Amino acid sequence: MESTRCCICGTRDAEPVGVGEDFEYRTSPDSFLTVRCERCGVVYLDPRPVRAELTTIYPDHYHAFTFTEDRFGFVYRVRRRLEARRLLAAAGSLPPDAKILDVGCGDGFHLELLREFGTPGWQLEGVDLDPRAAEAAAARGVLVHRGSIEELDLEADGYDFAILVQTIEHVGDPAAVLGAIRRVLRPGGRLLVVTDNTGSLDFTVAKRRHWGGYHFPRHWYLFDADSLRRLATHTGFIVDELDTMVSPVNWVYSLRNALDDWAAPRPIVDWFSLESPIPLAAFTAFDWLHQRAGRAALLRAVLRRPDEPSS
Amino acid sequence: MSTPQPEISNAPVVVVGGGIAGLAATRELLRNGLDVVLYEASGSVGGMADTHHDPDGFTYDTGAHFITNRLATATGVLDQCRDVARYDETVWLGGRSRDYPTGLLTMPRYLGSALRERTRRHAPTPVSAADWFRHEYGAALADQIAAPLVEAWSGAPASELSPAVADKIPGSIAGTIGLTLAARLTRRAVAIGYCREAPQSANVWHVYPERGVATVCERLAADVADSVRLRSRVECINVSDGRAVGVRVAGRDVPAAAVVSTAPINVLPRIVEGTDVLEPYRRFRFRPMVFVNLQLRGRDLLPCTVTWTPEPQHPFFRLTETTRSMPWLAPAGRTLITADIGAEVGDEHWAMDDAELGERCIDALAEIVPRARRDYLGCHVTRITNAYPVFHLEYEADRQRLAHSVGVDRLLSIGRNGEFAHILMEDVYWRTLRRARHLAATLERRLVSAA
Repeated sequence: MESTRCCICGTRDAEPVGVGEDFEYRTSPDSFLTVRCERCGVVYLDPRPVRAELTTIYPDHYHAFTFTEDRFGFVYRVRRRLEARRLLAAAGSLPPDAKILDVGCGDGFHLELLREFGTPGWQLEGVDLDPRAAEAAAARGVLVHRGSIEELDLEADGYDFAILVQTIEHVGDPAAVLGAIRRVLRPGGRLLVVTDNTGSLDFTVAKRRHWGGYHFPRHWYLFDADSLRRLATHTGFIVDELDTMVSPVNWVYSLRNALDDWAAPRPIVDWFSLESPIPLAAFTAFDWLHQRAGRAALLRAVLRRPDEPSS
Repeated sequence: MSTPQPEISNAPVVVVGGGIAGLAATRELLRNGLDVVLYEASGSVGGMADTHHDPDGFTYDTGAHFITNRLATATGVLDQCRDVARYDETVWLGGRSRDYPTGLLTMPRYLGSALRERTRRHAPTPVSAADWFRHEYGAALADQIAAPLVEAWSGAPASELSPAVADKIPGSIAGTIGLTLAARLTRRAVAIGYCREAPQSANVWHVYPERGVATVCERLAADVADSVRLRSRVECINVSDGRAVGVRVAGRDVPAAAVVSTAPINVLPRIVEGTDVLEPYRRFRFRPMVFVNLQLRGRDLLPCTVTWTPEPQHPFFRLTETTRSMPWLAPAGRTLITADIGAEVGDEHWAMDDAELGERCIDALAEIVPRARRDYLGCHVTRITNAYPVFHLEYEADRQRLAHSVGVDRLLSIGRNGEFAHILMEDVYWRTLRRARHLAATLERRLVSAA
């Protein structure tokens, strides 16, 4: 474990928020603390596991490696359609030979959607640190760069569109990642960011321990609209769009974590999972009500690199 | 602004004292990128958060400590802790145990006087603890229960103590009921009304280290091992032009960018040289305590973990049956009851032989635990000179001033004894972190302006 600091202001001026465990995968017997930066509002894990522990805290059955139709059936098919629509909306009008980069591509789920629902001429590339994810993505036939975007020497000004979907919360230095993406985007190129929303009602209710968006100890930095805007501006992006997006996942996990923590009967705990359409549908409807107030479970931002050439 | 002196800006921050406050400050300053040296006079860290194990399998901590899952996580010892399943308190009055406060308020004389007080139109602002208690609880409850207890742990009449002695942790009635309910549901001793520096919640509950409270400081000390110097008494803290500039350790002068002291506030004026602004703190008093740890056969002898005993026939004012909350601190079939006796150094109880103290406590305990004499096995006595700060009205203005600043630039006085505050371990921890960060920011600004 190593101590951390706010990814925007770099200080440790933060107040304790929540304490929890790895309720989902039990990869660690430790307990973890989240704090909120008093200046920037960023919620972060302090201390957090060191990089050498990544293979432990991301077990082989981690869902980003194994989100398959066989296992998730109906949920898988619904999610594919929804996500494809969202991705294409954020992409806007891209040239027919656009270069697109998925940072933290996992098993290549989103890249495959872009190939299936997008324009055939698009060049699709992914970046992932984890060799297992990179292998899974390569198996889908996309070009995957193994490593972290900050360390890989990708072509500057080379990409038309980048996506950072449920990745920014996993990285050790979100400001450095955004900076690196800004470098490889062409001027005017757009970046889609999707991440868990600490401005949501589910966070308010469950932030002391069971919030699904914590994913102890895998989510290291978490944002609300204000802190994400601050990070984007801090790293030289223009915020084109910033809103919230319906998702039942954190509601379901928050409830599941609480039931698990309070030693509820196993079948009840297990019923609240991503494989159960009923709670997913119910919480989708519930979260949809909060979207109207800008408090839905996910944050969605479309950022743009300013038009002037990079310095 | 005076010109910064380069040799001083390169000097480390010196921390005086290796209790939880000194260790937490050291770790936080290191994490903020500063050079830190901690000097501890004794041969081990821990200060008041100390543990003693005896060959019979009993574990004694210096006084009772409250630790939550949040504090244990923040300090990195949760994996060495067990959950506390229950924690409760009661008042022993008129030969029986009464819940606090609901049980007491069912007694007509207390309810009557409490209601009378609450319906008074123009209550004057309380000027002493005695006034405050009367205003809050009614005269009967204040004079028969609250005042005797606060007098026992302060060693001064409630009319001479500041109302601040009774400073309550804010919390609504509905909130308290909710937390009590959560404790029932989760079978965890949810921490209610004990911490003001971080929010309470159904998910913050009491835990306790398997090997006693010393575990917390041992862990912090391991994290900052390179910065700790044991058997290094700080003989003096040097102040020049109203600013702390160094310390003298074993006859050697050590320059310091700042000094963080955990010494009792009334000791600080004696070791600081170069200013007299600390003089008013010399007369601050701490209440010494004698803790008589009684070993007995059996378990669950007392009605609650903590039993308050305000009536004058008891030498102690509080009894704690540690094993009701932490069963592992005594061998199976045995229990540990700690009797807290307010004392003055050298007085009758302070000077009394350990065995005789044990006998005196067992005699008094028989009223509450009839089998106490038969099941008594022996005792372990701890005497603490600085157990509680005494909020005497005679120095109340100075105490309030201290709450803002000690009055010397780059000298912090932290921790329970250094701040002269009625605060528990978790408050000490978060407060210390905040103050360490503030100091780090101040020093950083100075370095920037020097460069």
